[in-house]
Amino acid sequence: MSINKENVRNFCIVAHIDHGKSTLADRLMEKTGQVSERDMEEQLLDSMDLERERGITIKLTPVRMFYKAKDGKEYIFNLIDTPGHVDFTYEVSRSLKACEGAILIVDSTQGVQAQTLANAYLAIDNDLEIMPVINKVDLASARPDEVATEVEDILGVPAMDAPRISAKTGLNIEEVLEQVIEKIPAPKGDENAPLKALIFDSYYDNFKGVICFVRIMDGQVKVGTKIRTFMSDKTFDVTEVGVFSPKMQPKDSLSAGEVGYIAASIKSIEDTAVGDTITTVENPAKEPLSGYKKALPMVFSGVFPLDGSKFNDLKDALLKLKLNDAALSIEPDNSAALGFGFRCGFLGLLHMDVIQERIEREFDLEIITTAPSVSYKVYKTDGTQMVIENPTHLPPVTEIDYMEEPIINASIFTPPDYVGPIMELCQYKRGVYKDMVYLDKTRVQLKYTLPLNEIIYDFFDSLKSRTKGYASFDYEVSGYQRSDLVKLDMLLNGDVCDALSIIVHKDKAYERGRQIAEKLKDVIPRQMFEIPIQAAVGGKIIARETVKAFRKDVLAKCYGGDVTRKKKLLEKQKEGKKKMRSIGTVEIPSEAFISILKTDNDR
Amino acid sequence: MSGIYIHVPFCKQKCTYCDFASYPRELCKAESYFACLYREIDGRSKQFPGRVIDTIYIGGGTPSVVDAKFIAGAIRQVKKCFHVRETAEITIEINPGTVDEQKIKEYKSVGINRFSIGLQTGFDDQLKKLNRIHTAKDFLTCCNLLKGENISADVLIGLHDQTLEQVKKTVDLAIAGGVSHISVYALTPEVGTPIYTDYLNGELLSDDETADIYDGVREYLKAKGFDRYEVSNFCKQGFRSRHNMNYWKRGEYIGVGVSASSFMNDKRFTNTFSIDEYMNAVIYNKSPEISNDLIEEKDARFEVIMLALRTTDGLNVKEFNKKFGIDFDTEYKTQLLKKGKYLLRDGDNLKIKDEYLYVQNDILLEFM
Repeated sequence: MSINKENVRNFCIVAHIDHGKSTLADRLMEKTGQVSERDMEEQLLDSMDLERERGITIKLTPVRMFYKAKDGKEYIFNLIDTPGHVDFTYEVSRSLKACEGAILIVDSTQGVQAQTLANAYLAIDNDLEIMPVINKVDLASARPDEVATEVEDILGVPAMDAPRISAKTGLNIEEVLEQVIEKIPAPKGDENAPLKALIFDSYYDNFKGVICFVRIMDGQVKVGTKIRTFMSDKTFDVTEVGVFSPKMQPKDSLSAGEVGYIAASIKSIEDTAVGDTITTVENPAKEPLSGYKKALPMVFSGVFPLDGSKFNDLKDALLKLKLNDAALSIEPDNSAALGFGFRCGFLGLLHMDVIQERIEREFDLEIITTAPSVSYKVYKTDGTQMVIENPTHLPPVTEIDYMEEPIINASIFTPPDYVGPIMELCQYKRGVYKDMVYLDKTRVQLKYTLPLNEIIYDFFDSLKSRTKGYASFDYEVSGYQRSDLVKLDMLLNGDVCDALSIIVHKDKAYERGRQIAEKLKDVIPRQMFEIPIQAAVGGKIIARETVKAFRKDVLAKCYGGDVTRKKKLLEKQKEGKKKMRSIGTVEIPSEAFISILKTDNDR
Repeated sequence: MSGIYIHVPFCKQKCTYCDFASYPRELCKAESYFACLYREIDGRSKQFPGRVIDTIYIGGGTPSVVDAKFIAGAIRQVKKCFHVRETAEITIEINPGTVDEQKIKEYKSVGINRFSIGLQTGFDDQLKKLNRIHTAKDFLTCCNLLKGENISADVLIGLHDQTLEQVKKTVDLAIAGGVSHISVYALTPEVGTPIYTDYLNGELLSDDETADIYDGVREYLKAKGFDRYEVSNFCKQGFRSRHNMNYWKRGEYIGVGVSASSFMNDKRFTNTFSIDEYMNAVIYNKSPEISNDLIEEKDARFEVIMLALRTTDGLNVKEFNKKFGIDFDTEYKTQLLKKGKYLLRDGDNLKIKDEYLYVQNDILLEFM
């Protein structure tokens, strides 16, 4: 059965974080009868527990809806919900390729924010029709007309007739649906042409193998079709095709213009890379669709099992997560302090946080993550060049000619009151001022270039706390820049702990060394002997703290014959110790490695 | 060696730090409680026939708050049901202000030959704060009644604003009372006790401050002729508590009464903490136990180590090897290597170095 493309609309929703993407998606599904109000679990598309708890969308999620429009025709809507956080811009850009249009939600109390702009530009770059929607008009502080003007001024997108809605209360949702039909073009494509299906996401299912989320651009695919991709020469027999409603629902076939999934007993996710094009073996398309640029991990961190014997479990967990997360990079790593583990690359700190939490929750593994690092370019005196993602691998100072660090272009949106504090922060973070634009009376856009290495510490938290949460922030990596960097080592009881080493700017070394030593003093529990904590640069000690030996660690109240209870108390103590890792003679709680990040340098 | 522990779950009023099974308002049940206790003693003697008893310990609560005839009855019952050695050590815990000449006479008449007095501190304001029922002077009066007897005193450290000088004065008071044994316990704030609130509010001494006092008082006691023989226990030569030594040697003991714990035939079991439940069980010939665990060999080994290392005698490795049929040094090679510097090895004897006895948990955990 072929569908009438004229009655299909493929679109995604983009917005700044918290402007109401997932809520609107829920409302649309409810309105189109996809889910009854009674069955409705808040924010249906955020299916990961983690997503719902944190109120963020991490994975993009497609859903198919039927809508009987005012013109009497029935339409098929394929909606793709997208993440809003800057770390996941890549996921957004993928979903855009599968659509003809994008609903751009703007919070009518906050107006255009950093990711509103970033995502809107992404959509424009992908030739998508942009359909603005003004959300949260039910709130007292809403200023829908001003915000509509703002959208026109800043983004150059007509917004006067944008639906004024409240996704929360359901106000004017119908208008959104009608405008989707009116403004977003129907898909083009030829169902009789050779198959071209764009893989925009995939995940691994234990029973069906890899499930590819596809947008069919041309042709048709059905159960039994022999398929292959352009990047791999393996062929597969399609075992199932279907659509998302929002759970996967098998269909006989998918044809040009449709969004759905394909399963073909594919064992390895590598065989169906996201961005690749699927075609048929019998009648292959001549060339693939233009894919995506690969997501490059920006932040690197060591991930080690707390219990050294769980190395293989951790490997399995990471490989499973990688199946569904092309942006995650994994490489075996070996630390003198922490043993065998992995050096993982992430899109950003939130991505890292999410992966870490998923390992612990979904695989029930306790892990230690080391302080994140970025990748540095090291130019050696012998004329060779190397890329360092792990401070431990930095060659001796004598072999280094100079180093380069990644630089970002940052765009910060803020009410004018906070310009001062933000400039102070950026300066402290070694930022270079580029530009300042007054967007309107209430918003300023600040542009800075900053070293990425400063952003991965606590930039975001500091920005939020200095602006009472009003500022928003977006960045893109612009390149590398020569910089005076040094390796800061931490010594515990006289020995360097490689897992605590970081690369910092020379001018920051003393301050950070002192902060980290102080922090470690707080998190390392007292032990049977005194533990000196020292920070060193190139063998020179620049800071010192001491963890005193404990004086009392005994079951003092020990009368009576209740040995069982005493044993229980010791067992409890032992449990606590299991969360610790022995580094030489010193025992360190697993959170110590990451806590050195959270030094409060917001003086 | 075998011991019997008899629990008396009554007192005049609860001390602020007490989390033992002791119920001041249930004192009226003493008569029926003891009737049940006698019955349990009889039952336990049939359950564990042929035991020779070396020590009996009557603890609480405050055993001295009940009529002496109940205590005497309990001892007579034990002697009737078990074979109690002539030389047995028979201890009773008493509190100042709850005994008179008559009571003590009655205790002695049934063979009680050791008196453990709850002194806690020699300062009346501190005693009052702990909700103790007596004054420092009452302690001396009590000791006077016990002239010439084998007396022990309990002393608490870690009290709010307590100083080493105060603890030394408390020790002086105990020595003036003629004690030959002193237990120095660090106040342990247990959840549910009034003192736990003080602890949460930071009103008790820190571990470091408590350790300072402990070290100071240990030195002071040594100068006065009291040697430490276990983490919290000090005595003049020849006055160790045999009952407690039996615990640390992992000897067998039967605990009778509410909340009492036993260790017999490789099993550890504990009675209910409720007086009513206890009496009901005993009357209807049911078990008053709320837990009963067989100790596996691995746990047994750890128990031997953990208990022995509390004492200054330490662990006899040869006996250990004989008991478990393994070689201690091979079995615990890594542990000994890792914690060796805190241990002292002298022939077959292994003990924790004196200066580390108060930070022993970290060592014990290795052997777990």
